[in-house]
Amino acid sequence: MLQRSSQRDARGAIVAALLSILGVALLPAGSYVVYALVWLAVATAGAASGYAPLTLARRGLIALPFTLAALPLIFIGGDELIWSGALGSAQLSISGAGLRIFLTAAVKSWISVQVGTILVRRYPIESIVGSLRALKLPDAIATGAGLTVRYVELLRGEATRMLRARSARSASPVGETRERIGGTISWRAKVTGNLAGALFLRAYARAGRVEEAATARGASGSLSLGSLIQPDARLFIKVALAIGAFVAITAAGALLPRV
Amino acid sequence: MRPLLHIPDGFLAPQVALALWVATAVVIGIALRRIGQRGPAAASQTILMGLSGAFIFAAQMFNFPVAAGTSGHLLGGVLAGFLLGPWAGSVVMATVIGIQALLFQDGGLLALGANIFNMGVIGTLGGTLVARGIAATLGGTRRATLLGVGVAAWLSVMAAAGFTTLQLGLSGTTDISIGLPAMLGTHALIGLGEALISVSAISFIAVSAPEIFAKSAPTAPTSPRRRVAAGLIITAATVSLASLFASTSPDGLEQVATDLGFINTSQAAPFELFADYSVPGFDGVAGTALAGVAGVLVVLLVIVLLNRLASARKGS
Repeated sequence: MLQRSSQRDARGAIVAALLSILGVALLPAGSYVVYALVWLAVATAGAASGYAPLTLARRGLIALPFTLAALPLIFIGGDELIWSGALGSAQLSISGAGLRIFLTAAVKSWISVQVGTILVRRYPIESIVGSLRALKLPDAIATGAGLTVRYVELLRGEATRMLRARSARSASPVGETRERIGGTISWRAKVTGNLAGALFLRAYARAGRVEEAATARGASGSLSLGSLIQPDARLFIKVALAIGAFVAITAAGALLPRV
Repeated sequence: MRPLLHIPDGFLAPQVALALWVATAVVIGIALRRIGQRGPAAASQTILMGLSGAFIFAAQMFNFPVAAGTSGHLLGGVLAGFLLGPWAGSVVMATVIGIQALLFQDGGLLALGANIFNMGVIGTLGGTLVARGIAATLGGTRRATLLGVGVAAWLSVMAAAGFTTLQLGLSGTTDISIGLPAMLGTHALIGLGEALISVSAISFIAVSAPEIFAKSAPTAPTSPRRRVAAGLIITAATVSLASLFASTSPDGLEQVATDLGFINTSQAAPFELFADYSVPGFDGVAGTALAGVAGVLVVLLVIVLLNRLASARKGS
Protein backbone atom coordinates (compact mmCIF):
# COMPACT_ATOMS: atom_id res chain seq x y z
CA MET A 1 0.00 0.00 0.00
CA LEU A 2 1.34 3.40 -0.94
CA GLN A 3 0.42 6.26 1.37
CA ARG A 4 1.43 9.86 1.89
CA SER A 5 1.50 11.55 5.25
CA SER A 6 0.47 15.13 6.13
CA GLN A 7 -2.86 14.89 4.30
CA ARG A 8 -5.38 17.28 5.77
CA ASP A 9 -9.12 17.05 5.44
CA ALA A 10 -10.21 19.57 2.79
CA ARG A 11 -13.82 18.34 2.53
CA GLY A 12 -15.27 21.35 4.34
CA ALA A 13 -13.24 23.74 2.19
CA ILE A 14 -14.24 21.95 -1.03
CA VAL A 15 -17.94 22.11 -0.12
CA ALA A 16 -17.55 25.78 0.86
CA ALA A 17 -15.76 26.62 -2.40
CA LEU A 18 -18.33 24.83 -4.55
CA LEU A 19 -21.29 26.41 -2.73
CA SER A 20 -19.71 29.88 -2.95
CA ILE A 21 -19.13 29.48 -6.68
CA LEU A 22 -22.67 28.16 -7.16
CA GLY A 23 -24.03 31.09 -5.12
CA VAL A 24 -22.10 33.57 -7.27
CA ALA A 25 -23.26 31.83 -10.45
CA LEU A 26 -26.89 32.10 -9.32
CA LEU A 27 -26.66 35.86 -8.69
CA PRO A 28 -28.77 37.90 -11.12
CA ALA A 29 -27.07 40.01 -13.80
CA GLY A 30 -26.14 43.53 -12.68
CA SER A 31 -26.03 42.76 -8.91
CA TYR A 32 -22.86 44.83 -8.57
CA VAL A 33 -23.39 45.61 -4.87
CA VAL A 34 -23.58 41.90 -4.04
CA TYR A 35 -20.56 41.15 -6.24
CA ALA A 36 -18.59 43.76 -4.26
CA LEU A 37 -19.74 42.28 -0.94
CA VAL A 38 -18.91 38.73 -2.01
CA TRP A 39 -15.49 39.83 -3.24
CA LEU A 40 -14.88 41.53 0.13
CA ALA A 41 -15.68 38.25 1.88
CA VAL A 42 -13.45 36.31 -0.53
CA ALA A 43 -10.60 38.81 -0.08
CA THR A 44 -10.96 38.47 3.71
CA ALA A 45 -10.76 34.68 3.41
CA GLY A 46 -7.75 35.12 1.13
CA ALA A 47 -6.03 37.43 3.63
CA ALA A 48 -6.64 34.82 6.35
CA SER A 49 -4.87 32.30 4.07
CA GLY A 50 -1.92 34.64 3.55
CA TYR A 51 -2.99 36.07 0.17
CA ALA A 52 -2.76 39.87 -0.18
CA PRO A 53 -6.04 41.17 -1.72
CA LEU A 54 -4.32 42.73 -4.73
CA THR A 55 -2.29 39.59 -5.44
CA LEU A 56 -5.47 37.55 -5.19
CA ALA A 57 -7.30 40.00 -7.46
CA ARG A 58 -4.50 39.78 -10.02
CA ARG A 59 -4.57 35.99 -9.85
CA GLY A 60 -8.29 36.17 -10.61
CA LEU A 61 -7.55 37.73 -13.97
CA ILE A 62 -6.32 34.45 -15.49
CA ALA A 63 -9.81 33.81 -16.86
CA LEU A 64 -9.72 37.18 -18.64
CA PRO A 65 -8.95 35.82 -22.16
CA PHE A 66 -12.18 33.85 -22.05
CA THR A 67 -14.21 37.07 -21.76
CA LEU A 68 -13.53 37.46 -25.50
CA ALA A 69 -16.32 34.95 -26.01
CA ALA A 70 -18.83 37.33 -24.41
CA LEU A 71 -17.42 40.50 -25.99
CA PRO A 72 -19.73 40.55 -29.07
CA LEU A 73 -22.76 40.88 -26.79
CA ILE A 74 -21.72 44.46 -25.98
CA PHE A 75 -22.18 45.45 -29.61
CA ILE A 76 -25.15 43.35 -30.64
CA GLY A 77 -27.23 43.24 -27.46
CA GLY A 78 -29.79 45.50 -29.12
CA ASP A 79 -31.58 46.68 -25.97
CA GLU A 80 -30.83 49.86 -24.00
CA LEU A 81 -28.61 51.62 -26.53
CA ILE A 82 -26.03 53.67 -24.58
CA TRP A 83 -23.67 54.74 -27.37
CA SER A 84 -23.70 54.72 -31.13
CA GLY A 85 -21.10 56.06 -33.53
CA ALA A 86 -18.54 55.36 -36.19
CA LEU A 87 -15.20 53.71 -35.51
CA GLY A 88 -13.26 54.15 -38.73
CA SER A 89 -15.48 52.77 -41.47
CA ALA A 90 -17.52 50.60 -39.07
CA GLN A 91 -20.76 51.68 -37.44
CA LEU A 92 -20.84 50.56 -33.82
CA SER A 93 -23.40 50.72 -31.05
CA ILE A 94 -23.03 49.70 -27.43
CA SER A 95 -25.95 47.99 -25.77
CA GLY A 96 -26.55 48.46 -22.04
CA ALA A 97 -28.07 44.99 -21.74
CA GLY A 98 -25.12 43.41 -23.57
CA LEU A 99 -22.62 45.33 -21.45
CA ARG A 100 -24.38 44.14 -18.29
CA ILE A 101 -24.20 40.48 -19.35
CA PHE A 102 -20.53 40.87 -20.31
CA LEU A 103 -19.56 42.55 -17.02
CA THR A 104 -21.59 40.03 -15.01
CA ALA A 105 -19.85 37.04 -16.63
CA ALA A 106 -16.41 38.67 -16.27
CA VAL A 107 -16.91 39.57 -12.58
CA LYS A 108 -18.42 36.19 -11.69
CA SER A 109 -15.51 34.32 -13.27
CA TRP A 110 -13.01 36.71 -11.61
CA ILE A 111 -14.49 36.02 -8.14
CA SER A 112 -14.80 32.26 -8.76
CA VAL A 113 -11.15 31.93 -9.81
CA GLN A 114 -10.14 33.63 -6.55
CA VAL A 115 -12.24 31.16 -4.54
CA GLY A 116 -10.45 28.26 -6.26
CA THR A 117 -7.08 29.93 -5.69
CA ILE A 118 -7.69 30.18 -1.94
CA LEU A 119 -8.72 26.51 -1.80
CA VAL A 120 -5.43 25.41 -3.41
CA ARG A 121 -3.46 27.85 -1.27
CA ARG A 122 -4.86 26.38 1.94
CA TYR A 123 -4.63 22.72 1.00
CA PRO A 124 -2.03 20.81 -1.02
CA ILE A 125 -3.41 19.03 -4.06
CA GLU A 126 -2.79 15.62 -2.42
CA SER A 127 -5.14 16.63 0.42
CA ILE A 128 -7.77 17.78 -2.06
CA VAL A 129 -7.56 14.49 -4.00
CA GLY A 130 -7.74 12.52 -0.73
CA SER A 131 -10.72 14.56 0.42
CA LEU A 132 -12.46 14.04 -2.93
CA ARG A 133 -11.92 10.29 -2.50
CA ALA A 134 -13.52 10.61 0.95
CA LEU A 135 -16.41 12.45 -0.77
CA LYS A 136 -16.94 9.24 -2.84
CA LEU A 137 -14.83 10.12 -5.88
CA PRO A 138 -14.45 6.75 -7.70
CA ASP A 139 -11.33 4.78 -6.83
CA ALA A 140 -9.95 4.69 -10.40
CA ILE A 141 -10.13 8.49 -10.70
CA ALA A 142 -8.75 9.13 -7.19
CA THR A 143 -5.82 6.74 -7.72
CA GLY A 144 -5.23 8.08 -11.23
CA ALA A 145 -5.31 11.68 -9.99
CA GLY A 146 -2.96 10.79 -7.12
CA LEU A 147 -0.47 9.22 -9.56
CA THR A 148 -0.85 12.12 -12.00
CA VAL A 149 -0.09 14.65 -9.28
CA ARG A 150 2.84 12.59 -8.00
CA TYR A 151 4.50 12.10 -11.38
CA VAL A 152 3.60 15.30 -13.20
CA GLU A 153 6.74 17.17 -12.12
CA LEU A 154 8.93 14.24 -13.11
CA LEU A 155 7.45 14.07 -16.61
CA ARG A 156 7.48 17.84 -16.95
CA GLY A 157 11.19 17.68 -16.16
CA GLU A 158 11.63 15.10 -18.92
CA ALA A 159 9.63 17.29 -21.31
CA THR A 160 11.72 20.34 -20.41
CA ARG A 161 14.95 18.44 -21.14
CA MET A 162 13.53 17.26 -24.47
CA LEU A 163 12.57 20.82 -25.42
CA ARG A 164 16.03 22.05 -24.44
CA ALA A 165 17.61 19.38 -26.62
CA ARG A 166 15.31 20.34 -29.50
CA SER A 167 16.29 24.01 -29.18
CA ALA A 168 19.98 23.09 -29.05
CA ARG A 169 19.75 20.93 -32.17
CA SER A 170 17.70 23.23 -34.38
CA ALA A 171 19.43 26.55 -33.75
CA SER A 172 18.14 29.50 -35.76
CA PRO A 173 20.51 31.12 -38.24
CA VAL A 174 21.85 34.55 -37.27
CA GLY A 175 19.30 37.26 -37.98
CA GLU A 176 16.35 34.90 -38.21
CA THR A 177 13.50 35.14 -35.74
CA ARG A 178 12.57 32.29 -33.43
CA GLU A 179 9.46 31.60 -35.49
CA ARG A 180 11.60 30.38 -38.35
CA ILE A 181 13.50 27.75 -36.39
CA GLY A 182 13.97 24.45 -38.15
CA GLY A 183 12.36 24.00 -41.54
CA THR A 184 8.75 23.76 -42.64
CA ILE A 185 5.67 23.72 -40.43
CA SER A 186 5.10 20.03 -41.11
CA TRP A 187 8.72 19.28 -40.16
CA ARG A 188 8.30 21.19 -36.89
CA ALA A 189 5.03 19.41 -36.19
CA LYS A 190 6.68 16.06 -36.87
CA VAL A 191 9.53 16.78 -34.48
CA THR A 192 7.07 17.91 -31.80
CA GLY A 193 4.95 14.81 -32.35
CA ASN A 194 8.06 12.62 -32.06
CA LEU A 195 8.84 14.28 -28.72
CA ALA A 196 5.28 13.58 -27.52
CA GLY A 197 5.56 9.96 -28.69
CA ALA A 198 8.92 9.51 -26.94
CA LEU A 199 7.51 11.02 -23.75
CA PHE A 200 4.54 8.64 -23.85
CA LEU A 201 6.90 5.66 -24.14
CA ARG A 202 8.80 6.89 -21.07
CA ALA A 203 5.52 7.28 -19.14
CA TYR A 204 4.47 3.81 -20.30
CA ALA A 205 7.75 2.27 -19.13
CA ARG A 206 7.49 4.05 -15.78
CA ALA A 207 3.92 2.80 -15.32
CA GLY A 208 5.29 -0.72 -15.71
CA ARG A 209 7.95 -0.06 -13.04
CA VAL A 210 5.38 1.49 -10.66
CA GLU A 211 3.19 -1.59 -11.05
CA GLU A 212 6.13 -3.93 -10.39
CA ALA A 213 7.11 -1.95 -7.29
CA ALA A 214 3.52 -1.94 -5.99
CA THR A 215 3.21 -5.69 -6.58
CA ALA A 216 6.56 -6.28 -4.83
CA ARG A 217 5.24 -4.41 -1.79
CA GLY A 218 2.16 -6.58 -1.62
CA ALA A 219 -0.34 -4.27 -3.25
CA SER A 220 -3.22 -6.00 -4.97
CA GLY A 221 -6.15 -4.35 -6.69
CA SER A 222 -6.49 -0.69 -5.72
CA LEU A 223 -3.62 1.52 -4.62
CA SER A 224 -4.61 3.76 -1.73
CA LEU A 225 -2.99 6.81 -3.29
CA GLY A 226 -4.84 9.96 -2.44
CA SER A 227 -6.35 8.61 0.78
CA LEU A 228 -7.55 10.90 3.51
CA ILE A 229 -5.85 10.10 6.82
CA GLN A 230 -6.68 13.04 9.11
CA PRO A 231 -10.47 13.55 9.22
CA ASP A 232 -11.52 17.03 10.34
CA ALA A 233 -13.40 16.98 13.65
CA ARG A 234 -15.17 20.26 12.80
CA LEU A 235 -16.38 19.11 9.38
CA PHE A 236 -20.11 19.50 10.12
CA ILE A 237 -19.64 23.02 11.49
CA LYS A 238 -17.70 24.02 8.36
CA VAL A 239 -20.32 22.53 6.03
CA ALA A 240 -23.09 24.31 8.00
CA LEU A 241 -21.19 27.61 7.67
CA ALA A 242 -20.75 26.99 3.94
CA ILE A 243 -24.50 26.40 3.53
CA GLY A 244 -25.13 29.58 5.54
CA ALA A 245 -22.83 31.55 3.23
CA PHE A 246 -24.60 30.13 0.16
CA VAL A 247 -28.01 31.15 1.55
CA ALA A 248 -26.67 34.62 2.43
CA ILE A 249 -25.27 35.17 -1.11
CA THR A 250 -28.52 34.00 -2.72
CA ALA A 251 -30.66 36.15 -0.39
CA ALA A 252 -28.47 39.21 -0.98
CA GLY A 253 -28.82 38.67 -4.73
CA ALA A 254 -32.61 38.65 -4.40
CA LEU A 255 -32.89 41.59 -1.99
CA LEU A 256 -30.16 44.10 -2.83
CA PRO A 257 -30.60 46.53 -5.74
CA ARG A 258 -29.38 45.81 -9.29
CA VAL A 259 -28.19 48.20 -11.98
CA MET B 1 -2.77 31.42 -30.04
CA ARG B 2 -4.06 28.98 -27.42
CA PRO B 3 -7.35 27.08 -27.41
CA LEU B 4 -10.25 28.77 -25.56
CA LEU B 5 -11.91 25.59 -24.35
CA HIS B 6 -11.65 25.69 -20.55
CA ILE B 7 -14.84 27.56 -19.60
CA PRO B 8 -14.39 29.52 -16.35
CA ASP B 9 -17.15 29.79 -13.76
CA GLY B 10 -19.56 32.63 -14.32
CA PHE B 11 -19.99 32.03 -18.05
CA LEU B 12 -22.45 29.16 -17.89
CA ALA B 13 -25.99 29.39 -16.55
CA PRO B 14 -26.26 27.11 -13.47
CA GLN B 15 -28.93 24.99 -15.22
CA VAL B 16 -26.62 24.37 -18.20
CA ALA B 17 -23.63 23.66 -15.93
CA LEU B 18 -25.60 21.21 -13.77
CA ALA B 19 -27.15 19.41 -16.78
CA LEU B 20 -23.65 18.89 -18.21
CA TRP B 21 -22.41 17.66 -14.84
CA VAL B 22 -25.13 14.99 -14.94
CA ALA B 23 -24.34 14.02 -18.56
CA THR B 24 -20.62 13.83 -17.77
CA ALA B 25 -21.18 11.80 -14.61
CA VAL B 26 -23.25 9.27 -16.58
CA VAL B 27 -20.66 8.83 -19.35
CA ILE B 28 -17.66 8.73 -16.99
CA GLY B 29 -19.61 6.29 -14.79
CA ILE B 30 -20.05 3.99 -17.81
CA ALA B 31 -16.35 4.40 -18.64
CA LEU B 32 -15.32 3.44 -15.09
CA ARG B 33 -17.60 0.41 -15.22
CA ARG B 34 -16.08 -0.70 -18.52
CA ILE B 35 -12.58 -0.34 -17.06
CA GLY B 36 -13.59 -2.18 -13.87
CA GLN B 37 -14.88 -5.11 -15.93
CA ARG B 38 -11.32 -5.88 -16.97
CA GLY B 39 -10.76 -7.65 -13.62
CA PRO B 40 -7.14 -7.90 -12.41
CA ALA B 41 -5.97 -5.93 -15.49
CA ALA B 42 -7.95 -2.93 -14.19
CA ALA B 43 -5.34 -2.18 -11.50
CA SER B 44 -2.46 -1.99 -13.97
CA GLN B 45 -4.72 0.00 -16.30
CA THR B 46 -5.34 2.48 -13.46
CA ILE B 47 -1.58 2.92 -12.93
CA LEU B 48 -1.08 3.47 -16.67
CA MET B 49 -3.96 5.96 -16.65
CA GLY B 50 -2.37 7.90 -13.78
CA LEU B 51 0.98 8.10 -15.54
CA SER B 52 -0.76 8.99 -18.80
CA GLY B 53 -2.45 11.90 -17.02
CA ALA B 54 1.00 13.17 -16.02
CA PHE B 55 2.12 12.57 -19.62
CA ILE B 56 -0.75 14.68 -21.01
CA PHE B 57 0.14 17.49 -18.59
CA ALA B 58 3.78 17.39 -19.67
CA ALA B 59 3.02 16.92 -23.38
CA GLN B 60 0.89 20.08 -23.33
CA MET B 61 4.18 21.95 -22.87
CA PHE B 62 5.20 20.87 -26.37
CA ASN B 63 4.50 23.46 -29.00
CA PHE B 64 5.89 24.38 -32.35
CA PRO B 65 6.06 27.80 -33.99
CA VAL B 66 3.62 28.18 -36.89
CA ALA B 67 3.88 31.90 -37.65
CA ALA B 68 4.62 35.10 -35.77
CA GLY B 69 2.83 34.91 -32.41
CA THR B 70 1.10 31.65 -33.25
CA SER B 71 2.09 28.18 -32.18
CA GLY B 72 0.66 24.69 -32.47
CA HIS B 73 -0.19 22.94 -29.18
CA LEU B 74 -1.23 19.49 -28.11
CA LEU B 75 -4.46 18.95 -26.18
CA GLY B 76 -3.95 15.19 -26.29
CA GLY B 77 -7.51 13.85 -26.10
CA VAL B 78 -7.44 11.65 -29.21
CA LEU B 79 -3.81 10.69 -28.52
CA ALA B 80 -4.71 9.44 -25.03
CA GLY B 81 -7.91 7.80 -26.25
CA PHE B 82 -6.17 6.02 -29.10
CA LEU B 83 -3.29 4.72 -26.96
CA LEU B 84 -5.30 3.72 -23.87
CA GLY B 85 -8.70 3.01 -25.40
CA PRO B 86 -11.66 5.41 -25.65
CA TRP B 87 -13.06 4.77 -22.16
CA ALA B 88 -9.75 4.91 -20.31
CA GLY B 89 -8.72 7.93 -22.41
CA SER B 90 -11.85 9.83 -21.46
CA VAL B 91 -11.26 9.10 -17.75
CA VAL B 92 -7.63 10.28 -18.08
CA MET B 93 -8.76 13.51 -19.75
CA ALA B 94 -11.45 13.99 -17.07
CA THR B 95 -8.75 13.66 -14.41
CA VAL B 96 -6.39 16.05 -16.21
CA ILE B 97 -9.13 18.65 -16.77
CA GLY B 98 -10.17 18.32 -13.12
CA ILE B 99 -6.61 18.85 -11.85
CA GLN B 100 -6.16 21.79 -14.25
CA ALA B 101 -9.30 23.38 -12.77
CA LEU B 102 -8.25 22.73 -9.17
CA LEU B 103 -4.54 23.40 -9.38
CA PHE B 104 -4.28 26.12 -12.01
CA GLN B 105 -7.85 27.51 -12.09
CA ASP B 106 -7.78 26.70 -15.81
CA GLY B 107 -11.53 26.27 -16.16
CA GLY B 108 -14.16 26.59 -13.44
CA LEU B 109 -15.31 24.11 -10.80
CA LEU B 110 -19.02 24.55 -11.54
CA ALA B 111 -18.15 24.48 -15.25
CA LEU B 112 -15.98 21.37 -14.78
CA GLY B 113 -18.78 19.08 -15.94
CA ALA B 114 -19.09 21.07 -19.16
CA ASN B 115 -15.33 21.16 -19.73
CA ILE B 116 -15.01 17.39 -19.21
CA PHE B 117 -18.03 16.86 -21.47
CA ASN B 118 -16.55 18.97 -24.28
CA MET B 119 -12.96 17.77 -24.16
CA GLY B 120 -13.13 14.42 -22.36
CA VAL B 121 -16.40 12.98 -23.63
CA ILE B 122 -16.94 14.59 -27.04
CA GLY B 123 -13.27 15.28 -27.80
CA THR B 124 -11.66 12.12 -26.44
CA LEU B 125 -14.33 9.41 -26.39
CA GLY B 126 -16.05 10.64 -29.56
CA GLY B 127 -12.76 11.51 -31.25
CA THR B 128 -11.24 8.10 -30.57
CA LEU B 129 -14.32 6.29 -31.85
CA VAL B 130 -14.14 8.39 -35.02
CA ALA B 131 -10.41 7.60 -35.38
CA ARG B 132 -11.02 3.88 -35.00
CA GLY B 133 -14.07 4.05 -37.25
CA ILE B 134 -12.11 5.69 -40.06
CA ALA B 135 -9.16 3.31 -39.61
CA ALA B 136 -11.40 0.24 -39.66
CA THR B 137 -13.43 1.55 -42.59
CA LEU B 138 -10.29 2.10 -44.66
CA GLY B 139 -8.97 -1.39 -43.98
CA GLY B 140 -7.06 -1.04 -40.71
CA THR B 141 -3.66 -0.39 -42.31
CA ARG B 142 -1.10 1.83 -40.59
CA ARG B 143 -1.74 4.61 -43.10
CA ALA B 144 -5.51 4.34 -42.52
CA THR B 145 -4.94 4.47 -38.77
CA LEU B 146 -2.80 7.59 -39.03
CA LEU B 147 -5.37 9.22 -41.32
CA GLY B 148 -8.11 8.35 -38.83
CA VAL B 149 -6.12 9.81 -35.93
CA GLY B 150 -5.41 13.00 -37.87
CA VAL B 151 -9.01 13.58 -38.94
CA ALA B 152 -10.34 12.69 -35.49
CA ALA B 153 -7.84 14.95 -33.71
CA TRP B 154 -8.91 17.90 -35.87
CA LEU B 155 -12.59 17.08 -35.46
CA SER B 156 -12.20 16.69 -31.68
CA VAL B 157 -10.90 20.25 -31.33
CA MET B 158 -13.59 21.61 -33.66
CA ALA B 159 -16.37 19.70 -31.88
CA ALA B 160 -15.14 20.84 -28.46
CA ALA B 161 -15.05 24.46 -29.71
CA GLY B 162 -18.51 24.09 -31.22
CA PHE B 163 -20.03 22.60 -28.08
CA THR B 164 -18.35 25.25 -25.90
CA THR B 165 -19.92 28.00 -27.99
CA LEU B 166 -23.33 26.32 -28.01
CA GLN B 167 -23.26 26.03 -24.22
CA LEU B 168 -22.26 29.69 -23.87
CA GLY B 169 -25.05 30.59 -26.28
CA LEU B 170 -27.57 28.56 -24.27
CA SER B 171 -26.38 30.41 -21.15
CA GLY B 172 -26.85 33.78 -22.87
CA THR B 173 -23.18 34.80 -22.60
CA THR B 174 -22.42 34.76 -26.30
CA ASP B 175 -24.19 35.25 -29.59
CA ILE B 176 -23.98 31.93 -31.39
CA SER B 177 -24.22 33.46 -34.86
CA ILE B 178 -21.05 35.48 -34.19
CA GLY B 179 -19.32 33.26 -31.65
CA LEU B 180 -19.58 29.98 -33.55
CA PRO B 181 -17.82 31.02 -36.77
CA ALA B 182 -15.21 32.92 -34.73
CA MET B 183 -14.49 29.97 -32.43
CA LEU B 184 -14.51 27.40 -35.22
CA GLY B 185 -12.37 29.59 -37.45
CA THR B 186 -9.72 29.99 -34.74
CA HIS B 187 -9.84 26.37 -33.63
CA ALA B 188 -9.61 25.08 -37.20
CA LEU B 189 -5.95 26.18 -37.09
CA ILE B 190 -5.41 24.90 -33.56
CA GLY B 191 -6.97 21.59 -34.61
CA LEU B 192 -4.50 21.36 -37.46
CA GLY B 193 -1.63 21.58 -34.97
CA GLU B 194 -3.34 18.94 -32.81
CA ALA B 195 -3.77 16.65 -35.82
CA LEU B 196 -0.16 17.02 -36.99
CA ILE B 197 1.29 16.38 -33.52
CA SER B 198 -1.05 13.44 -32.80
CA VAL B 199 -0.28 11.75 -36.13
CA SER B 200 3.48 12.24 -35.66
CA ALA B 201 3.33 10.89 -32.09
CA ILE B 202 1.38 7.77 -33.13
CA SER B 203 3.67 7.31 -36.12
CA PHE B 204 6.71 7.48 -33.82
CA ILE B 205 5.17 4.94 -31.42
CA ALA B 206 4.26 2.64 -34.33
CA VAL B 207 7.92 2.53 -35.34
CA SER B 208 9.55 2.58 -31.89
CA ALA B 209 7.14 0.37 -29.97
CA PRO B 210 5.09 -1.65 -32.48
CA GLU B 211 3.65 -3.83 -29.69
CA ILE B 212 1.96 -0.79 -28.08
CA PHE B 213 0.72 0.40 -31.47
CA ALA B 214 -0.62 -3.06 -32.30
CA LYS B 215 -2.59 -3.09 -29.03
CA SER B 216 -4.16 0.28 -29.85
CA ALA B 217 -4.85 -0.06 -33.56
CA PRO B 218 -8.04 -1.75 -34.82
CA THR B 219 -7.13 -5.28 -35.88
CA ALA B 220 -9.82 -6.38 -38.33
CA PRO B 221 -11.82 -4.42 -40.87
CA THR B 222 -15.43 -3.96 -39.84
CA SER B 223 -18.50 -5.32 -41.62
CA PRO B 224 -19.84 -3.40 -44.66
CA ARG B 225 -22.89 -2.27 -42.66
CA ARG B 226 -20.68 -0.82 -39.94
CA ARG B 227 -18.51 0.85 -42.55
CA VAL B 228 -21.55 2.52 -44.10
CA ALA B 229 -22.82 3.58 -40.65
CA ALA B 230 -19.40 4.99 -39.69
CA GLY B 231 -19.10 6.75 -43.03
CA LEU B 232 -22.57 8.22 -42.63
CA ILE B 233 -21.88 9.54 -39.15
CA ILE B 234 -18.55 11.08 -40.17
CA THR B 235 -20.08 12.60 -43.33
CA ALA B 236 -23.03 14.00 -41.38
CA ALA B 237 -20.66 15.53 -38.79
CA THR B 238 -18.47 17.02 -41.52
CA VAL B 239 -21.47 18.39 -43.44
CA SER B 240 -22.92 19.90 -40.25
CA LEU B 241 -19.62 21.59 -39.39
CA ALA B 242 -19.05 22.76 -42.97
CA SER B 243 -22.56 24.24 -43.13
CA LEU B 244 -21.56 26.67 -40.38
CA PHE B 245 -19.18 28.28 -42.85
CA ALA B 246 -21.74 28.39 -45.68
CA SER B 247 -21.84 31.79 -47.35
CA THR B 248 -25.14 33.63 -47.62
CA SER B 249 -23.89 35.60 -50.62
CA PRO B 250 -25.23 34.73 -54.09
CA ASP B 251 -23.24 32.23 -56.18
CA GLY B 252 -21.35 33.27 -59.31
CA LEU B 253 -24.28 32.82 -61.75
CA GLU B 254 -26.74 34.65 -59.47
CA GLN B 255 -24.30 37.52 -59.06
CA VAL B 256 -23.78 37.84 -62.82
CA ALA B 257 -27.56 37.61 -63.38
CA THR B 258 -28.11 40.36 -60.84
CA ASP B 259 -25.34 42.55 -62.31
CA LEU B 260 -26.62 42.14 -65.89
CA GLY B 261 -30.26 42.55 -64.81
CA PHE B 262 -31.78 39.22 -65.93
CA ILE B 263 -32.21 37.67 -62.48
CA ASN B 264 -35.98 38.40 -62.59
CA THR B 265 -36.42 36.35 -65.75
CA SER B 266 -35.71 33.14 -63.81
CA GLN B 267 -38.64 30.83 -63.18
CA ALA B 268 -39.50 29.20 -59.90
CA ALA B 269 -38.94 25.44 -59.62
CA PRO B 270 -42.10 23.30 -60.01
CA PHE B 271 -41.59 22.00 -56.46
CA GLU B 272 -39.22 22.93 -53.64
CA LEU B 273 -38.05 20.52 -50.96
CA PHE B 274 -35.17 22.37 -49.33
CA ALA B 275 -35.31 25.79 -51.01
CA ASP B 276 -32.03 27.72 -50.59
CA TYR B 277 -30.60 24.90 -48.45
CA SER B 278 -33.11 25.41 -45.65
CA VAL B 279 -35.60 23.16 -43.88
CA PRO B 280 -39.07 24.53 -43.10
CA GLY B 281 -39.32 25.33 -39.39
CA PHE B 282 -35.55 25.62 -38.87
CA ASP B 283 -33.86 28.98 -39.27
CA GLY B 284 -30.26 29.83 -40.05
CA VAL B 285 -27.39 27.43 -39.36
CA ALA B 286 -29.58 24.60 -38.02
CA GLY B 287 -31.67 24.60 -41.20
CA THR B 288 -28.56 24.59 -43.43
CA ALA B 289 -27.01 21.74 -41.44
CA LEU B 290 -30.23 19.70 -41.58
CA ALA B 291 -30.55 20.33 -45.32
CA GLY B 292 -26.94 19.16 -45.76
CA VAL B 293 -27.58 15.96 -43.79
CA ALA B 294 -30.80 15.36 -45.75
CA GLY B 295 -28.84 15.81 -48.99
CA VAL B 296 -26.30 13.20 -47.85
CA LEU B 297 -29.11 10.75 -47.05
CA VAL B 298 -30.77 11.31 -50.43
CA VAL B 299 -27.47 10.71 -52.26
CA LEU B 300 -26.93 7.53 -50.23
CA LEU B 301 -30.44 6.33 -51.01
CA VAL B 302 -29.94 6.92 -54.74
CA ILE B 303 -26.63 5.03 -54.67
CA VAL B 304 -28.17 2.10 -52.77
CA LEU B 305 -31.12 1.92 -55.22
CA LEU B 306 -28.84 2.08 -58.27
CA ASN B 307 -26.61 -0.60 -56.73
CA ARG B 308 -29.61 -2.88 -56.19
CA LEU B 309 -30.79 -2.26 -59.74
CA ALA B 310 -27.34 -3.11 -61.07
CA SER B 311 -27.21 -6.29 -58.94
CA ALA B 312 -30.66 -7.35 -60.12
CA ARG B 313 -29.69 -6.82 -63.77
CA LYS B 314 -26.45 -8.72 -63.28
CA GLY B 315 -28.34 -11.63 -61.65
CA SER B 316 -30.89 -11.86 -64.46
